[in-house]
Amino acid sequence: MRMIPSLTPTTFIMLILGVSTFIFIMFLPALLELKKHKDAGPRLIMNDAPVMQTKIRETILMVNVEEEHGFDQILAKKMADVMAVLPNIEA
Amino acid sequence: MALMMAYLVRHYIFTLTVLRKPQKHERAVTVGKTPYQPTVSILIPARDEEKVIRRILQRMTELTYPKDKLQIIVIDDASTDSTGKIAEQYSKMYGYIKVIHRNEKEGGRGKASALNTGLRYTNGEIILCFDTDYYPQVNIVEKLVVGFADQKVGGVQGRVVVLNEPQNLVTRLVALERMGGYRVDQHARHVLGLVPQLGGTAVAIRRSLLDSLGGWDPSILAEDTDLTFSIYLAGYKILYIKDAESYEEAVESWKAYRKQRRRWAKGHMQCAFKHSLKVLKSNNLSLKEKIDGLLILNVYFMPILTILSWIIGPLLFLLKPMQPLNALLASLLVSIYSFAGNFAPFFEVGIGAYLDGRTRICWLIPLLIFTCLYNIVICTEAFTDLLISKISRKNHLHWDKTVHSGNGNSYIMS
Repeated sequence: MRMIPSLTPTTFIMLILGVSTFIFIMFLPALLELKKHKDAGPRLIMNDAPVMQTKIRETILMVNVEEEHGFDQILAKKMADVMAVLPNIEA
Repeated sequence: MALMMAYLVRHYIFTLTVLRKPQKHERAVTVGKTPYQPTVSILIPARDEEKVIRRILQRMTELTYPKDKLQIIVIDDASTDSTGKIAEQYSKMYGYIKVIHRNEKEGGRGKASALNTGLRYTNGEIILCFDTDYYPQVNIVEKLVVGFADQKVGGVQGRVVVLNEPQNLVTRLVALERMGGYRVDQHARHVLGLVPQLGGTAVAIRRSLLDSLGGWDPSILAEDTDLTFSIYLAGYKILYIKDAESYEEAVESWKAYRKQRRRWAKGHMQCAFKHSLKVLKSNNLSLKEKIDGLLILNVYFMPILTILSWIIGPLLFLLKPMQPLNALLASLLVSIYSFAGNFAPFFEVGIGAYLDGRTRICWLIPLLIFTCLYNIVICTEAFTDLLISKISRKNHLHWDKTVHSGNGNSYIMS
């Protein structure tokens, strides 16, 4: 005896509707989240983020300028060291 | 069916473990009272990484580990872009950064080969590895090396967090996978004394052990998994430190995802062929380590078994008449498995997100079903490649490099 149930048109339609509804409900939260992100984003792993952000941006800009103008790296480093010990006139 | 049940039970054990045993989190980082500060060499292999190399090198200069005990070696693996030039700029500014340039002839043979080259120039007692798309905590070195005060520890793995998560659907799903993999899976293995794995990055290895193992095996595409099992088989342990965190830039497209995962799958299968028997016979591993080790080694074969069961199952059902009672029992078992079994990895990911305080991202978990299905295709493809390579005795296994766009920079520098 085979266990293949006989499908009438009504049960077939009910089956399709049931499966479709299940799939829709299953993916609904994901669709909502994709449409309008409410998630906080990546986990923050660092506690020194503000300082680090500024520093990295400045360094990358400096390296780019140096590349474009062919500055001497060692000279630039020395200049940076001198500037670091100068008094902060904004303070 | 029994194999699938083993994996599902494992998922549940891992998930319940991290929920119930938070007190063991710091086991590895409290070894001894005095700070253990060995000399450390950090290897950064880089091939055409001009978009991300500055980020990691800048971060290396910000590490809080004493600079007189730190050496950073960038292996410029025959890059055709300005990777080597950028690394040289940093090398000129910071004495502890050294750049090794590999020419066209030496380079492009994969990460393991590049790491072996870099290893020859190191002088640290502990070797750390970072990929160029990584961005670690400033005190990650301290967190990773402290475990080595225990002489039985051969390797330490840190946690990986996806940096460019909000970028698109692929990066979000990779972030979810990472949460399950690192926050739950790796951590539970560490807590239960099983087999935490070394990833290829944010990882620390004892130098003397690495030398005795002959470095990384360049013929294996998953050099990290290979090293993991070589370390265990040599009688050493691996720790997972969940608080030693590092950002990574996840793949951004389905195509890149496929390329990366195919490499992982092939490499993992290579490791399964290389190590499974050795794990079974090893006197250095306990029974639970052996079981976990074998499950890890063979995990990429499971999607192929799934495909086989999808083909064979309906065929048997149609071809072989089944008694009503047997059919009922069979469908009951399949239903239970489908409900509880397939749910297990999603449950793991959900708990990982929950423990990170990321409840909203759980809404995306049902979409992981697409990555599961995609992985079935990828693993089958990887297995076929590997078979062809074995049969034809030709090496079809080349290193498919993951391209990094540097889009993660915007999340750090905004």
